[in-house]
Amino acid sequence: MIFDEPKFAPGGDRYIRVEFGDEMNLELNFMAQGLAGALGESGTKGLVETAPCFATLLVHYEPREISYGDMVTELKSLIASLGSSDEIEMNSRLFTFETLYLDPWTKECIDDYREKLNPDKEYDPDFVARLNGLEDRHQLVRVHSGTEYWVASLGFWPGLPFLQPLDPRAMITCPKYNPPRTWTPQGTVAMGGSASAIYPVATPGGYQLFGRTPVPIWDTTKRFDVFQGDIVLFQPGDRIKFQPVTREVYDDAERKIADGSYIYNIIEYQKFSVRNYKEWIGKLDTSERF
Amino acid sequence: MLEIIKPGLETSIQDFPGRVGYWNQGFPPSGPLDSWSFRLANILVGNDAGAPGLEAQFMGPTLKFQQDGVIACTGANMAPKLDGEEIPMWESVAVKAGQTLVMGPALKGARGYFAVAGGIDAPEWLGSASTFHKASVGGLDGNAIKAGQMLPVKAGQGQAGRRVKADCHPQFATDKKWHIEAVAGPNDDWIDAAGHAQFLATDWKLEARSDRTGYRLDGPDWTFTDKATNKPPENGEFPSNIIDHGYPMGGVNLCGQKPIILVNDGPSMGGFIVPYTVPSAAFWKLGQMKPNEFISFNRVSVEEAQALRIELDDLCGENSIE
Amino acid sequence: MAEQVMTQAPGNVWKVLVKEGDTVAAGDTLFILEVMKTEVPHEAESAGKITKLHIAEEDAVDVGQLAMEIE
Repeated sequence: MIFDEPKFAPGGDRYIRVEFGDEMNLELNFMAQGLAGALGESGTKGLVETAPCFATLLVHYEPREISYGDMVTELKSLIASLGSSDEIEMNSRLFTFETLYLDPWTKECIDDYREKLNPDKEYDPDFVARLNGLEDRHQLVRVHSGTEYWVASLGFWPGLPFLQPLDPRAMITCPKYNPPRTWTPQGTVAMGGSASAIYPVATPGGYQLFGRTPVPIWDTTKRFDVFQGDIVLFQPGDRIKFQPVTREVYDDAERKIADGSYIYNIIEYQKFSVRNYKEWIGKLDTSERF
Repeated sequence: MLEIIKPGLETSIQDFPGRVGYWNQGFPPSGPLDSWSFRLANILVGNDAGAPGLEAQFMGPTLKFQQDGVIACTGANMAPKLDGEEIPMWESVAVKAGQTLVMGPALKGARGYFAVAGGIDAPEWLGSASTFHKASVGGLDGNAIKAGQMLPVKAGQGQAGRRVKADCHPQFATDKKWHIEAVAGPNDDWIDAAGHAQFLATDWKLEARSDRTGYRLDGPDWTFTDKATNKPPENGEFPSNIIDHGYPMGGVNLCGQKPIILVNDGPSMGGFIVPYTVPSAAFWKLGQMKPNEFISFNRVSVEEAQALRIELDDLCGENSIE
Repeated sequence: MAEQVMTQAPGNVWKVLVKEGDTVAAGDTLFILEVMKTEVPHEAESAGKITKLHIAEEDAVDVGQLAMEIE
């Protein structure tokens, strides 16, 4: 449900949680990111930082400069002046990543999990295809790769992007591993619930594994200009396209990444317009899958 | 230069307030768990309160000084010895090139702090020298200090013999029970009245597997309101599951039935509710607790928690020094 | 006279590598604690014979607790 009025709650002495709804709906993330943007531009005294998530915005403030009550008043006023989320326009870079779907490394990881933790685990792409009424793992690849993904938030681990499909025809869901895995290959492209993610490093995890990208989304060694002095590649509001490639293309990209000659595929000048987005999805025949 | 002879247990370079402004990319603030002791160590040696220093956990390091300088040890009592002789804690001490400081096991408290006049000269990663070693960020090389490393020290002017007034440094619990403030929210409306009463009445045991990412508590099961059980399915199966949301620092994160207090190196978001949040002024207590000790939570309002923080900040200044 | 081996950190006893009656050399690992999810080995400071064990695997221990005695 999208709430008529967003809800506010304190997180200790210096955080406020703004909740726009309690369901997975891109609209709620547009509202959270819209508010984050407006807050950032408002120059509000006492604002430290914001972190948008699927349906919420966490606001970190300095209580010596603004009280909880005054910050909530400011947030309500900004939300009112934002009007409908249809008005939201934000800079949004589009990244295209070479991705080897149905790769051998995630298969090895799944086999290891079967051996050590759960022998009944079905190979993830087959499992997810079946759950979503798709023909087979190949249709899953077509569906998963057929849409741009919206970076709704980053977190849990530095640089880990949580992605929502922009094309409603690509919406699929799946449960998380139970128990979770103890490791995941770096660069794994995966999904849990309705969110996709890329593992920036080899952490434990519970998402279903589909493929792997060699492109770093995390760089402490300052090798690639695209990081522009940051360590993490993405910002909330970026978009990602997973481009299915062959093993040869994957290996070639990996070689170029190793020798530093890889050039990131980014389109930087676009603005994402919620109004235009909604017009576009309004015209789609969502009964068709890819 | 400081030569690391023995690193101790996950001793790391930290600064205060840590790495702030990157929560929306998933970076925790890191920084010292007991920022009260940390800041006083810096003030004793004449540094800015937030200058890079060392946080030692349970077992302290052995450091050899390559230059003359002024140092201070605060926080947990690691019985610091300079060339074999005990030196006072909570006081600035002159050291000479060639001398060795041994910080041993923490006899009282859990985390010891070391500051040197000038501060440790560590590179800034996203605006802070604080170490987040799980992701290899901060410190010298992204990790806890290692034997054989040389830590550069910035030039500084310290004065020996400065002392923290007796009533200006943290007093640790002596009966293994810590009274820790908690502010209700953000998800307090997911817990029923009995659950709230139980949270505040229970003596929660700190599990040994706790560390800078989270403090795991052992105690009874929580009980929930309708909000936790009657929600859209994408929120998840368990009553404490919620659509992934941003976590406040200090959040008492209810993972299934396991409460985990999120501290300085903790995750920035996840799919479990946060019914209470430990305010920043109480973090020093978390920093000085030992495993198998107990927490009894006192509920405070947002305003009370903010007043406590102001009191604490005011203690971390020159007025606490004699 | 028996020398007392005291724990150097609070945590859980993960492994006890010696039995009463064993002879150990300086530097031998006597037991390993788990502290903050990290293995912390405790090594013998000098050679001797283990005369008494005061800890067992899975015990919760405080710092400065008597772990064993060596002669």
